[in-house]
This record gives sequence, C-alpha cells and structure tokens, in this order.
Amino acid sequence: MLKSIIRKEILNNLLSYKFSIIIILSTILILVSIFVMYRDYCLALENYGVLQPKSNEAIAIIPPTPLSIFAKGLDENLCRSYEIGFGGQIRVGSKQESVNNLFRLFTTPDLLYVVKVILALCAMLFAFDMVSGEKEVGTLRQTLSNSMKRPILVIGKWIGGFTSFVVPFFIAVLLSTILVTMSPLVQMDGENWAKLGMFLFSSVLYLAVFFSLGLLISCLTHHSSSSLIISLFLWAMLVFFIPNLGNILARQLVQIPTVQQLEVKRSQIWIKEVFERINREKNYREVVGSINSENDKLIADYRNRFDRLVSVSQNITRFSPAAAFTCLATDLMGTGISEERRLKKAVLLYKDLVWNKQQDDLPTFNFHRSSIKEVFGFGGLANLMILILFNMLFFVSAYVAFLKYDVR
Amino acid sequence: MLSAIISREFFSNILNLRFIVGVILCVIITIACVMVLTHDYQQEMADYNLRINLQDEFLSKYAHTNRMGGMITPQKPPEQFRPLIIGIPREANLGSFDDNPLPVLFPPLDFLFIVTIIMSLLAMLFSYDAITRERQRGTLRLLISNSIPRAKILLAKFIGGTASLLIPFILSLLAGALYISINPAIQWDSSAWAEFSLLIAASVTFISLFYLLGLMVSTFSRYSSTSILTCLFLWVLLILVIPNISPYISAQLYRIPSVNKIERQVNHLLDTERDELGREFSREVLKKFAARYGVIYSEFESLEFGGLWGECSPENRKATQQRAAADPQFKAMVDAFREQINQAWSEANRIQREKAEQLRKDLTTKATAQTKIAKNLACISPYANYIYLATDLTGTGLRNLDYSKQIASEYYNMFYSYLEKKTQQAMKKDPTFETNSFLDVSDRPRFVFKEEPLRDKLDAVLPYWGILVLFNMVFFAAAFAGFMRYDVR
Repeated sequence: MLKSIIRKEILNNLLSYKFSIIIILSTILILVSIFVMYRDYCLALENYGVLQPKSNEAIAIIPPTPLSIFAKGLDENLCRSYEIGFGGQIRVGSKQESVNNLFRLFTTPDLLYVVKVILALCAMLFAFDMVSGEKEVGTLRQTLSNSMKRPILVIGKWIGGFTSFVVPFFIAVLLSTILVTMSPLVQMDGENWAKLGMFLFSSVLYLAVFFSLGLLISCLTHHSSSSLIISLFLWAMLVFFIPNLGNILARQLVQIPTVQQLEVKRSQIWIKEVFERINREKNYREVVGSINSENDKLIADYRNRFDRLVSVSQNITRFSPAAAFTCLATDLMGTGISEERRLKKAVLLYKDLVWNKQQDDLPTFNFHRSSIKEVFGFGGLANLMILILFNMLFFVSAYVAFLKYDVR
Repeated sequence: MLSAIISREFFSNILNLRFIVGVILCVIITIACVMVLTHDYQQEMADYNLRINLQDEFLSKYAHTNRMGGMITPQKPPEQFRPLIIGIPREANLGSFDDNPLPVLFPPLDFLFIVTIIMSLLAMLFSYDAITRERQRGTLRLLISNSIPRAKILLAKFIGGTASLLIPFILSLLAGALYISINPAIQWDSSAWAEFSLLIAASVTFISLFYLLGLMVSTFSRYSSTSILTCLFLWVLLILVIPNISPYISAQLYRIPSVNKIERQVNHLLDTERDELGREFSREVLKKFAARYGVIYSEFESLEFGGLWGECSPENRKATQQRAAADPQFKAMVDAFREQINQAWSEANRIQREKAEQLRKDLTTKATAQTKIAKNLACISPYANYIYLATDLTGTGLRNLDYSKQIASEYYNMFYSYLEKKTQQAMKKDPTFETNSFLDVSDRPRFVFKEEPLRDKLDAVLPYWGILVLFNMVFFAAAFAGFMRYDVR
C-alpha cells in the first residue's frame, strides 16, 4: 500500500505545473550559480598566483579552495594576504571584491544560497498543499474511506513528495559538478569529494526540514491558500529574520570594538613608539618589542571577545535551521567561521615564528583547512544534530496533526 | 460603481487571513528591527565618541608633522538612518586583521528587508488571485455582465488592493517612527524626516509594482494555483537572483588587475623606493655641501649632522646646537643643510606619490567601470533599483561611500594647509624644530561629518525612481492587455 501511495504522489507531482516550474527554476539556478562561482574561483586562483610570496617576504597566504564554488562563505576573507611587517604588525591585503562595492550590497549567489533560500522555498511549495489541497479536491476523503491507515498515508506522501522534489535537485547538482570538475583548474582530492558529499547530505537534511514544515502546516490548515500564506511567512522568518537579526542582537550582548576603533589604536601604537624612539627615549629593540607586545594584547583582547560573540550569536540563531545549515555547510567546505578563527590563529603563530627567528631564513607559512573529523569536532556535529532534530520535530508534529486531521 | 468595487476589494482583502498575518508580521518585525538597530546605533555612537577622544588625547602628547596622516584619520559617526537601514556594512573593506566576518555570512536585517521581502511577497499574495479567484467562483462573469468597462474593474482592483496592502505597512512604519521620535538617543532634523517621507513614497512605488506584477500574472492565468507559482517564480528571479548575480557577471565581463598586487606596488613605491630615492637625493646634497663648506662640513659630519640626516646620538645633537649658536657661519650652513635635505625628501616624496597616484587612479577607473556595469545589469530587477534609491536617499549606500571619501579628502587638504602654516610658525620660533618634533595642534580644524544636501541626493535617485514608476506602468499596461482578452467563463 505504501508503495502505491508513493507512486501516486510521485506521478501526481511529475504531471503538475508546480513540478515543471520548480524544476525549471532550480535547474537553471543551480547551473547558473555553479558556473558563475566557478568563474569566480578561477579569478581567485589567478589572483593567488599573482600574490605568491617571494622567499624574502614574510607573507601568509592560502590558495582558494575549489569547494568555494559551492559555498563561498568567507573564502574571500581567508584568501587575503597577511604580511608581517615592522614590529610584528600584520598588514592585511585588500579583497579583490573591495573595489566593486556592489558585492557588498548583494549576497553571493552560490549553491549554499540557492539551497538555503530558494530551494527551501521550493520545498515548502511542494509540501504546502499535500494534505489541505487534497482535502479541497475531495480525494483525501476517498483515500481514507478505504482500509488505508493514516500513518502509512502520511509517510507515503512524505516519501513520494520529497523524492520527486529532491531527485531533480540531485541530478542538476551532479550534472553541474561533473561539468565544473572536468576543468583542469579545479583540483578535487578525496577529502574534498567527501566534504562535497557531506555538504549535499546536509543540504538534503535541510530541505527535508522545510518539506516537513510545509507538510505540518498543510496538516494544520484546511485551505491550501491559508497554508501557503503561513508557509511563506514562516520561511521568511526562519531563513532571513532569525539568523540575520540574531547576529545584530548578539552584538548588543557582547561588547566588541569596531574595526575603526582597532585601527585607530593600532596606528597609535606604532606612531607613539617611533616618536619616542626618535626623541631618544627608547632604543630600536625596545621600540619594536613594544609595538609587537601592544599589538598582541590588542589582538588577544579582540579575539576573546570575538569568540564570545560567535558563540552567543550561534546560540541565538540556533532557532533557525537556516543558520545551523549555513554554519555547517561553510565549515564543511572550509570557508566558515571556524576556519577563519583557525587561520587567524595560524597567522598569529606564523607572526611569532617570524618575530622570534634566529637565522636570516624566513619560515614558510603552512596551513591546511580542517578535515571532516575536525569540522565535526568544532561544532559541526551540533549543527548536524540541530538539523536532524528539526526534521524529527516537524515530521512528528505533522504525523500527529495528520492523525487528528478532519478530512471532511 | 468604481468606488463600490474598490471598497469591495478592500474589505474582502482585510477580512482575509493573509491580511492578519501580514499586519502581525510587519508590526513585530519592524518593532524588533528598530529596537535592535537603535541599540546598535547607540553603541556605534559610543564607539565613535571613544575614537574621537582617543585621537584627541594622542595628538595632545605625540603630534608631529611626520606621520600626521595616521593620527588624524577622519572619524565618521554612524549614519542617522542607522536605526532603520544598515546599507553597506562599513567594516567590510577596511582591510584590518581584526574584522567581524559574521555580516558576510548573515547579512544584517533592516527596514529594507521588510519592504523588499515581506511587503513584496505580501503584495503578490494579495493580487495573485485577484482575477483567477473571481473567475473560479463565477463572480467575475456576473461582474462583467453589468455595464462596467473592464478597465474600470482592473483599476478598482488595483486601488482597493493596494490600499488594503498598505495598511500593514503604514501601521508598522508608524510604530517605527514613533519609537524613533520618542527615543532621546536619536535626533532627527527636518531634512531627515523629509528623507523618511520620501523613503515611504519610494517604498509604496515598489510595493505597488509587485501588486501589479501579481495582478498581471493573474490576468494571464486560469487558476489561482498556477498564478501563485508563476508569481513566486518571477519574484525569486527579480528579488533573489538577478541582483545577486550581476556583480559576478560584471567581474567576468570587465576584468580588473589584482587589487592586492597594486597595493603592494603602491606600498613599495611609497616605502622602500621612496627611501632609496630620498637617500640618493640627500647624498647629492652632501656632496654639494662637502665641496662648498670644506672643513666646517667635516666637523658637521663628525657630529652626525646633528640628527638632520641619519642616526645621531643626543650628545652630538646638543653639540651641533651649541656649535651653531656660537658660530654664525656654522649656523648658516646647518640651516641651509636642513632646507636642502627637506627639499630632497619632499622631491622624492612628490615623485613617488605621483607614480603611486597613477597606479591608484588606473585601478579606480577600472573598478568604477566594473561597478557601473554591475549596477546597470542589476537595474533589470526592481529590487536593485529600490535598494539604490532607498540607500542613496538615506545616505547609507554606494553614493554615501563616495561622498564620505570626497569630504574626507577635502578635510585632509584643509588640514595639511593648516599643518604647513603651523610647521612654518614652529620653525620660525625654534630653529631646531624638525618634522619629528612635537607640534601643538590643539587649534586644528576638526572633521565634522555633514550629511549630503537632500536636493543632491534626490537628483541622484530620481532615475531609479523613474525606472520603478516605469515598471509600474508596464505591469499595469500588461495586466490591462491581459484582462481585455480574458475569458471570464
């Protein structure tokens, strides 16, 4: 019986206008997004080639990851160059995007964005009328008049509906991934493939959350028009409102100085020391020592506050699956907040190495993006669990609501 | 008859679930947004005041002509519209080691979100079934069988629908405006309120555009279920896809050289190369002086040039001063030497600055061209037009960045002419004064950020507003054409 429900649901979807329009939209978007981001990755790679440090330069820089094609996250920030200069000061290179301010006005259209925003909406659109829509046309009453058990019906509907939604998504992603990875510029190793696999798995989990939520709303309403309205507004709240306002709220709870303030303090440190040096109050060694230690204090204070800000903001935004998914996906792809914190730590260690070097030879900067194991250790597992929990919560609620649903 | 249809459309909308959901959402989101952003604004203000104090205190102890640029960086207060609109995050491009990358992952939420996402969605939800629902129920047939022209029906639906749609928006705006006006931390002048009114008018143009888009789709559809999907498809393209893709397409169409590489070249020109050139010019000065002054020059050289060139011990510095005070010929040589060395370094600075400026100018020209392409590409979407219009009007957008840069450079010019005068005065007073000596600049001109005049802003945003009005007209005309041929059966 379950099989025929699933079959009916899939066939019903395949023949609907909704299916064609959503599939056209998502396929175009996925292909365009991956192609655009692939070109962007090529530009970043070209830029990295130009910026490779010479043997006499104390510069820390890492290459862009091919996974940024799928989730760019903070890769533009991560791939800046960090030059160790006078008094151990770290001079940060500008981002390539910094000269075109339009990048700052709009969002990056990578696969992460397509899944997080657009496909989540599509998942809800697939599910919003699964129960209320059938009730309106009267088929639900007929189906249940047979010896059909409600649990089987709701599970069959979920499996059938979600399969017909997620399979075309997979085909589009696979197709574009194969096209992109055929390029000699995209060098994916085994670890990268595993990360991409995990990313796709978490995307499916995330989309399932929205699908189950759509089903839940459908089970709680009696008209598909009301179900649609509630679905759309919940989508807007979960995808935009909670994650984005949550971050500004976190900034109110953790006092963190602005970049402008830090820049003022940083320039004052070296100017003061140089001034005192010239006016013969300090010798050269003392001066550079002070610049280094003062900057270290400034950085240590900031990093502590920033770590607290990240944890507060993650705790606030955990009410939204979109925030958990963003963190998980970007961390997996090596372009997330945890990677940024790791890189900054590595740069600081490198600065200390350069600072304390005994010989003339400059140490080289080594940095490897986190492995899957490390990502799960840094809180990736918690985010994954949140997605699973949301799935269970919404599905169980939908199940219970359907058991009590008045089909008349 | 027109008014009857308008009122019917209006009341049928406000009794619907979507209206209630819309009102609740708009009011809650607006209040939450304004409260959080106001608090953020106050924090930014406190940070701004702290920066000003830090600079003042530092200058009172360490001000000297050299490196003055790093001490007087103009500090801009948070924009007055910050409690409503964040616009472009200012921290993103400062190129600091300690930056907060969270806004890159989670773009901040503000009033623009309410208009561009919530209100545009609500507008489409109000209009997607304006025609199809009536056809499906059979009421459209009855309506048309009366002697009312179709154009009138469409116009009435537009007026009634938009009026009901604007209630949640106006209610939430009133709540926001009330919060801003009673909060003592926010002091808006009349020009800010005028900008706020214009922002409301622009938002209404944008919202009505999406209402008309929904109406247009409805006149081309037979069923509400297909109409809503087409509407959402168009909405996703116009709001979520086109604007976000345009900067990336423009970056492909118009390449710019590596920004980081140019930065390094500029730093090299102004640092290492400048020093080499300065030393080369100075050595020529030394040669000239050696030939002209002979013995007293050798004596001057043995005193490490009194600190006027290269490293010098405090004893030698003092000895040079005493020698100059005792011997007028020696003093004349020292004064001439100081002047020539300063000239040599100024010349080296000038040459290198010109080279660096040329590099920067080339990059800026190319970057401006790329930004322009991206901006024009994004104009296909009403979303981008509205964002330009709203952010430029309230001084939180792209235009404000250019404006701030311009007034900062005006301030630098003013400050440097003050500094030159001040340095000359100090040199007259104290012959041993040089660019690394402490200089009292307590009477310096202060940087005061003045908002760009409303007229200039308005001139700049009118084209975008025009495009939004054009979109309205096109969608209405298309809806009209669709409805004229609509089969009401």
